[in-house]
Amino acid sequence: MELAKKLIKVTVNGEPRELWIKQNITLLDLLRDHLGLTGAKMSCISNSCGACTVILDDMAVKSCSVLAMQVDGKEVLTVEGLAKDSKLHPLQQAFIEHVAFQCGFCTPGKLMSAKALLDENPQPTEEELRRDMEGNLCRCTGYQKYIEAIMDVAQHPDKYGAKEG
Amino acid sequence: MAEFRVVNKGIPRKDSIEKVTGQAKYTFDIVLPEMLYAKILRSPHAHARIVNIDTSKAEKLPGVKAVITGKDTQGMRFGFVDTPRYPCEQPVIAEDRVRFIGESVAAVAAVDEDTANEALDLIDIEYEPIPAVFDPEEAMKEGAPQIHGEQIPAPGRKCAWQDWGVARAARSYNPVNNIGASVNIGYGDSEKGFADADYIREDTWVVPRTNHAAMEPHGAVASYNPLTGFMDVWLSHMGYELKRYWISKTLGIPISKIRVRKTFVGGAFGGKAQVFDHEIIAPFLSRKTGKPVKLILPRDEVFTSTNNSIALKINVKKGVKKDGTIVGQHVKLISDMGAYRGSVPVCLFLCHSMRDAIYNIPNLTHEGVGAYTNKSTTMAKRGHGSQQMTTAIESQMDWIAEDLGLDPVEFRLKNLRRKGDVLPNRDTLNSYGLPDCVKKVVEASNWKEKRGKLGPGRGIGLAVSAMFNGSGYWPFTAGSIVRMNHDGTVTLYMGQAEFGQGPTTTTCQLVAEELGLNVEDINLVDGDSELCPIDYSNWLSGGMFVSCKAGLIAAQDLKQQILKIAAEMLEENVEDLEMLDRRVYIKADPEEGVAFDEILRYSIQRHDGDPLIGKGFCKPVPEIEFYPSLSKGSGRWTDAYSFTASVAEVSIDAETGRTKVEHIWIGDDCGREINTAICQGQLQSQAVMGMGDALFEEVMFSEGRTINANFVDYEIPRAFDVPKITTIDASDPDPNGPFGAKEIGECARAAVIGSIVNAVYDATKVKIMSLPLHPEKIFRGLAQKAEA
Repeated sequence: MELAKKLIKVTVNGEPRELWIKQNITLLDLLRDHLGLTGAKMSCISNSCGACTVILDDMAVKSCSVLAMQVDGKEVLTVEGLAKDSKLHPLQQAFIEHVAFQCGFCTPGKLMSAKALLDENPQPTEEELRRDMEGNLCRCTGYQKYIEAIMDVAQHPDKYGAKEG
Repeated sequence: MAEFRVVNKGIPRKDSIEKVTGQAKYTFDIVLPEMLYAKILRSPHAHARIVNIDTSKAEKLPGVKAVITGKDTQGMRFGFVDTPRYPCEQPVIAEDRVRFIGESVAAVAAVDEDTANEALDLIDIEYEPIPAVFDPEEAMKEGAPQIHGEQIPAPGRKCAWQDWGVARAARSYNPVNNIGASVNIGYGDSEKGFADADYIREDTWVVPRTNHAAMEPHGAVASYNPLTGFMDVWLSHMGYELKRYWISKTLGIPISKIRVRKTFVGGAFGGKAQVFDHEIIAPFLSRKTGKPVKLILPRDEVFTSTNNSIALKINVKKGVKKDGTIVGQHVKLISDMGAYRGSVPVCLFLCHSMRDAIYNIPNLTHEGVGAYTNKSTTMAKRGHGSQQMTTAIESQMDWIAEDLGLDPVEFRLKNLRRKGDVLPNRDTLNSYGLPDCVKKVVEASNWKEKRGKLGPGRGIGLAVSAMFNGSGYWPFTAGSIVRMNHDGTVTLYMGQAEFGQGPTTTTCQLVAEELGLNVEDINLVDGDSELCPIDYSNWLSGGMFVSCKAGLIAAQDLKQQILKIAAEMLEENVEDLEMLDRRVYIKADPEEGVAFDEILRYSIQRHDGDPLIGKGFCKPVPEIEFYPSLSKGSGRWTDAYSFTASVAEVSIDAETGRTKVEHIWIGDDCGREINTAICQGQLQSQAVMGMGDALFEEVMFSEGRTINANFVDYEIPRAFDVPKITTIDASDPDPNGPFGAKEIGECARAAVIGSIVNAVYDATKVKIMSLPLHPEKIFRGLAQKAEA
């Protein structure tokens, strides 16, 4: 059965958008299928792996488990919006220099979770960080280098360039 | 050897920018004009006859472009193993019967996913369930349901190994008592060994199926051009050769008209090596509709319908002298194979061969069988064979040491092989860092102060493992090209699949080291079957030793060409020249030299337009034409072995039986670390994956149905579970490795699992004979011990 489409207004990576969407699609579908932003990944579709994590009004959310209708009037930041003016975000730079990732599939989700955490709690302890990153599964790395990279950014905010906004 | 400039450094990955910005395109991210979406209907029965399939309602649904069943793919067979002895037997889509829950029975292509899903609901299938069997030992009994009950293969069908040049034709046979694989390897006389022994010990373990759980689900995008006959495919895979071979063989499209395009691959761990039904169905549907087709598996289908690791029952009898000399070993294996063979025949062989480079056992018998069961297929997972056997052998080693009053470290060291040893199959241990691995982890972990002395509920354990560096497998070679560019940079063409393990970065390092360049001076073209040479990829951890080495050889070839031209330009001898920073200079007078771009122009002008292209190739086990015998283990296996020793320290909560891994130390012999950061990452990865294997990972079945086919019920380690991990380089450079390097991606996992198992025993003195070490098993074991 064809569902009626509804209009939503949402700001994605700083760009205001108006989109007619089916009511049953998720935020992940919206980003990937309507906006061509494929950085957020589908992996588990059960809110348990974090590969689809994006930031919704300052909060890291799993976009596979948020209905697109729920983001009407809100702001979404995806991994594609993390670098500004051809300059990588300090977390991106730290991930590169620590060789934090391997296959890279979970990396966009990890970056967004880490950004939301550091924005709220700029100086987490390693335990706080590990607890906070529990929702972002990774099968390749054993997490160690991700944790080191994020801790490095937290402890040396200037090392990878000043943090934006 | 001189100091390295680029090799043996922890430099950033070549694919860094793509991976931190979301630009990296994985198969699921591919979108093509007019693309259709495909879905597969899967069997809800473990074993049933298909009486009738009615697709008429689905075909009439608006938006549906094609519906196919086993009638459309009639007679098409595929499998990981397709040898004269073991011809493959898996249909692309089930034909007259289904053999496991999750087997494909129909597929649909439609304009969008919702329509495709709706169409699946409209397909009516009449099944007639027949008795099923889920336990391999039940399956082998007289009178058990026969899962195949038909000739394998169909008469006249050529097996893959015949296509690849093996003269012997595939035997055609009807499996008896569901036995679909067997192995019988031996040397010396194990019975005589036991007769000479002062002490004999026999134990039996069960190792379950686990899931690879790569974060990217399996999937395929296929685009067929009916006018040219070319089929482009994008796959989540571990090497394009096997994939395009099977698509070609099943669909009858010439292999040169199938192009596996470069994609980023979101993890593999062995679970994306073989071809799958969906990777044949997507191109089939694309050819049928003339449109691109995307087919991505949801996570539950990854669990139920692709493959899991290989489950084994392992019986080991060992004879030992009082002084700790091992004199005999007899291994008996039973594999719960699943409905089709998967890689079980390989695994049964590897259970022996992966361990044969470790201990010197003069009298040995190694037997195994694989039985068909009504479950999904099982496959290689990161060091398969080694992973299962190491738990068994290494825990038994500890128990023997305990019974004989020997120190477990000394007992192991006493029985290790020696550098330079020639194994019974004639593999030579040209490098052998294992003793050093053991000594270094024992020292780093403060073993001597801790073993048996940590107090109640705490323990420390040691285990060792080995891994091949590639083996004889199609296409039996890896090729590579390094070409000079106008500005003196180079472009590297390599076929090996990059799925996170880092071969593209490390090969750039090899090339840069050889040519005096930096990694930034190298453009990379990789993972595309049309743009890159024929490539073996990374089977059995041959990535570094075979495929990456081909890149180094191509760089060496280019280097000689550059030096020859430069010598002519500078009027010097080649031996008196050196190269650095896109320039060749005279060793005795470094100010005198010519730049690479000048050398290229000179070559083009004075040497018939020669644009300077280096070629390299490398064959795994060059002495043999094809492959070792899986069933007899005869023939050379590999050119070098990597080694790991792992120590784990654990604490056990007596109230719950829950194990916490406190610290893992890994001593690893990978020959030479080419990228130190990537190597650390590989070891940390295996430490954490091995912890999951040891403590909680198990794919669970009820009457053939997977009951934990998602990441809520099937847990993998999370960031907070991770212990402290110390990695120690104990490398013994191999004379045949690129700059001495060997594999580092698979060896350690097995040792980590074994070390955790041994640490738990040290803490509890409870022998747990099955993985994983669930809290419940430990709790019950402790309770029984308290009662006794």
